[in-house]
Order: sequence, then C-alpha cells, then structure tokens
Amino acid sequence: MSSGDGLVYLVGEEKSLRELLLDSDVLPLLQGLLALGAGSASIMDQDGEELWGAAGPGARGEVLAQLPIYLEGEQVARLKVSGEAERRAGLKACAELLKVALDTVIRNNLKRVLTTEIHTSVVNSSHEALLQINADLTLSEARYRELAANLETRVKERTAELRRAHTHILQQEKMAAIGQLAAGVAHEINNPLGFITSNLHTLQKYVARFCAMLQFYRDHLNLDLPIETVSAEGERKWRELKLPQVMADVADLLSQSLTGAERVTRIVADLKGFSHVDEAQDMPVDLNEELERTLGVLSHALNGRAEVIRELQPLPRITCHPQLPGQIFLNLVQNALTHAAGETRIVLGSIFDGERIRISVADNGPGVPAELRGQIFEPFYTTLPVGSGTGMGLAVVYEAVLKLGGTVTVADAPGGGADFIITIPIVKGEG
Amino acid sequence: MIEYNESERRMVLKLVYYGPALSGKTTNLLQLHEQLTRQGRGELMVLDTSGDRTIYFDLLPFFLTAPSGLRIKVKAYTVPGQVCHDATRKAVLQRADGVAFIADSNPDEAQSNFASFDNLERNLSLVGQDIDLVPLVIQFNKRDLPNAISEEELRNTWEPTGIPVQMASAISGIGVTETFAALAGLVYRRVDARFALAATHGLSCEDFVRQLTCMRDDSAVGEP
Repeated sequence: MSSGDGLVYLVGEEKSLRELLLDSDVLPLLQGLLALGAGSASIMDQDGEELWGAAGPGARGEVLAQLPIYLEGEQVARLKVSGEAERRAGLKACAELLKVALDTVIRNNLKRVLTTEIHTSVVNSSHEALLQINADLTLSEARYRELAANLETRVKERTAELRRAHTHILQQEKMAAIGQLAAGVAHEINNPLGFITSNLHTLQKYVARFCAMLQFYRDHLNLDLPIETVSAEGERKWRELKLPQVMADVADLLSQSLTGAERVTRIVADLKGFSHVDEAQDMPVDLNEELERTLGVLSHALNGRAEVIRELQPLPRITCHPQLPGQIFLNLVQNALTHAAGETRIVLGSIFDGERIRISVADNGPGVPAELRGQIFEPFYTTLPVGSGTGMGLAVVYEAVLKLGGTVTVADAPGGGADFIITIPIVKGEG
Repeated sequence: MIEYNESERRMVLKLVYYGPALSGKTTNLLQLHEQLTRQGRGELMVLDTSGDRTIYFDLLPFFLTAPSGLRIKVKAYTVPGQVCHDATRKAVLQRADGVAFIADSNPDEAQSNFASFDNLERNLSLVGQDIDLVPLVIQFNKRDLPNAISEEELRNTWEPTGIPVQMASAISGIGVTETFAALAGLVYRRVDARFALAATHGLSCEDFVRQLTCMRDDSAVGEP
C-alpha cells in the first residue's frame, strides 16, 4: 500500500509465495533433488503455473511425489517431483525433507517480513511524530531565539539604566552625606559665631562707653576746671558708665571671641581637609589622619553622645584619591551612631602587619545577624524603616574600599555589636 | 478487514487480542494453537525479540473455505501491552474486524485494565473505528488467582455495557476457545451484514465458528 507520504504497510497484508521466497532460497533445494537422481523438481502454484523448477537433461519419468505447500494455514502451492519409478521411495523421502525445509524457510521469511513491516510502520509513524515535534520545536526555538535576542538587548539596556541609576544614587548619597555634614558643621560654626557676634555687640556698647568717657575728659579739660573737680567729676562719670566692670569684661569677651574664631578656623580646616576639595589627584594618605579628620567633622554628632576609643597604631601611607578614606570612615561612624542604642561606644582600631592595613570600626549596637552579612553592602539594603535610611551608606563604603583595592567585612564585636573590618593589602615598595 | 477481493474470491479478516501488559494475550494464542486442530490453522508466529514480553506482536492465522469457494483467512494478532509500544498497537489495530480485550483479574491490575481499555478506545478512534461498533469481547483472565476479583462483581460491572464477558484461565487453557468462538461469532455477524456470507457464500455463523474452533482430536494422527 502506498499513500501520499511514502510507503505505508498494513499489518496483515497478504504475501504471495513469490514475495516470500527468493530464487536463491528455492533453486538450490530443487537442484539438490536432481543431484539425488530426480528427473525434475518444481513448485507449482494453485493454478498449475510453475513458480520454480529444475530439470535434468532429457529426464522425464513419472510424477513420484506431489506435496502441498502451506502459507499461514492455506495451501498455496505444491512441490512436484518426477523421475524414474524405481527411485520412487528414496526420492519421495527426499521430497518430504525438502518440503520441511521449504516450510521452515517460508516461516522464517514470513516472520522477517512481518517484523520488518511492523517495524517500518512504527518507525514511519514515529518519524512523522518526530517530524511534527521537530517542526514544533523549530517554531518554539525561533520564538525563543527572538526572545533571547531581544532579551539580551533588553538586559543590556536595563543594566546600563541600572548602572546609571546606581552611579546617580551613589552620587546622591555622597551629596546627602555632605549635606548632613554641612548641616552639622553649620551648627558647629554657628555656635561660636553666635557668641562672637554677641560679644561684638557687647563690645560695641562698651566702646561707646569708652568713647563717652574720653569725650567727658576732653570736654572738661577744655573748661580749665581745677584738677580736683575734674578728677571727682571723672570718677563719678567713670562709675556712672560702670567702666570698672566693663574693663574687667572686655578681656574675657575678646579672649572668648578669639577662641570662637579659632574654633571656626579649625572646623573649616577640618572640613576642607576632609573633603579634599583642592586635591583631585591620587596622593599619599595616612589613614589615621583621615580617621581623625572624620571624627573632627563629626564632632557635632559625637560630642557628648558617644564615647570614642582610639586604638590606633602608626600606618604606612597609601596612595589613593584623598576623598575615599573620608567617605569610608564617615559612613561607618555614622552607621555606628545610627544603630547604637543607649550609651554609644565606638572603638576605632588600626594596625599594620607588614602586608596589610587593617582598620576596624566597632560599635556596641545590636550587631549584624550572620544571615544578613551578605546583603548589607548591597545598594538600597537597609534595616531602618522606609524613609529613614537610603540603604546606600554601606554600599558607598563597599565601593570606596574596592577602589582602594581592599575588602570590607563585618564581624561580631567583642561584647556584642558590629565590627566592620577593612583590609587593604600594601604592595611592596609603596608606603 | 485486511482484504476482500471479489474476483479472486478471497477475504482476509483481522482479530486483535488487546489488553494491559502481561494479562495473557500471547498465552491465549499459544493455547488456541495448542487446542485447535492443525487443519486450517497456520503456525503461530511469536515475534517477540526479548524473552517473555511481546515487543512486536504474535500472529496465529486460520484458513477456511466457504461452500461458495470464498477463501477466508482469519489472522489473530496480539499487541504489546506495554504503554511505550503504542505505535505498534495502533499499527496492528488498523482495519481490525474484532477485538478480544484480555483483562487481568488481579485486583491490583484494575487500574491497568482501565488504562488499557481507554487506550483501546482512543487508538480505535485514531484508526477510524468506533468502539461501540467494533465486535468486542472481554475476557477476564487469571481466574485461578486466589485474590481474583469475584465473577459476580465483574459481571455486574460489565454486563450492563452489552459487551460479552468471558472468564478464563488461559495458562490452563480454560475459557480460551470460548473467548475466540464468542469473538468469531460477533465478527461473522458484522461481516455477514456487509458481504452476505450466508446468503451469497452459503457459510452459516455456526459453520464459520465451528471451522475456526475445531478442537484437536488427540486420537487422530498427530503432527509430524
């Protein structure tokens, strides 16, 4: 049977003897009978047509044996053997043997054909199923390819977007930190500035009194009054203007104001040093100095609110952008201040072991649970209520430490709290 | 029907033994081969390739001639019961004239029976046949199992469907010929309706079934 798409076998389709037996299966058997003395041997179909035959030279003789050949229980042919009558017994036995042999060959060939048929049929249908699956897969692969191609572009776009946003937010965070710092520092400057202004106002009044006193003497000297009178009048005026108290106060006012002005000068110097506004190039930096500068600009937040313990050892200078250490220490100390509860204690340690600088900022706050330690340096991660923290402080630290070629980790501080440890390897020949 | 050739006066019918894996389909054919006379019966072709499981199918052919001279060949096939050989089952089921569904009486196999019956229904429809029209008998095999589902329960379940139910223990040859005869009877009625076996060819249902299920006479000369 054939259909549109190639050969299709119907299981059970009838087979003829010609389809099942090859000449090479049958003829040698028939030839064998001739060799045994038969005149002729043939296989005839049911209509008497010869399917296979073998005959000796000039041999006729009589029909010695006619045996039925069965295919699937149906007689489909017969084996006919002719020869000399006196050979009948032997040749008949040989014909029986040949029939058994043919039966066996037929059965085996039929088995093979049936197996092949079902196999082909199954393979064909499986092949069709596979082709269908293949077509479906090709289609879905094309969809996925398209998706994947787009996805790559989309991911690239999103990544670039995120990177821009990240940079932007880090920048904002730095600006916000500077803003906070500015507010703190402004307060710090306002305080001395306040009393300096107040002192100046007082001094302004005092100077007016001095002027009044001087004017009094100058007027009285012009009147040529007796010196006693001038002296007595002057003494009265002196007291009236309360100059003894004023004079006692002036020294205090001036020294106070000077101290205040010096404080402002120092704050500005700290801030300038901390921000390194004038230095954009990499330069040798002493991290202990930077730590002190940071504490200086944070003095408004630290004084009276936190105990700072310094366990600092001399460090070699490292070459880096001078703003980076300040960013690190500012954020770590602010972090400690934010999370510490009750009496805040911040322990700052620094040590150099010949290969690495190790700086630790430990607080006595609640500490960082082990399962969160992988996340706290990620941008936007915060344990504070929404709106209270940007989640960027430690991300800024992480970024800055990375730029120094170091690592930052968090551990448990002795006695509880978080201990942020910065490790910076020192390349030989540096420092 | 595999073939009907009026001019050659030839008809080839296909019967299929269907059912779950290891329910005894091949055993049924082996027993038929054993019990029925050699006259008009071909050799059993067991086309399995690995041990005791049927991977391809088994074939037991029968041959008979109607009084009219119509030569009728009946080929009984088994299908592999394993789920994975569905393509073979479909191929064998093509143009089937009747189906004997060999079910397992083991209550643990009830699920397999249902799954296989579902599969039969689906595959029949895939080869363009309707399970309600196809001559079908159900044989509950392995009645010898001590935990076999009770006959009463099976009959209560299946007889309302109108499908003839046979009880068998194929391993000991019980119920095998009866199942085959029941299926042959149903197939005859369907073929007779289309090809007038009785009217045109002089072949009655009884003759048809009797010729197919002629028991071996042990007193006669045995096979060589």
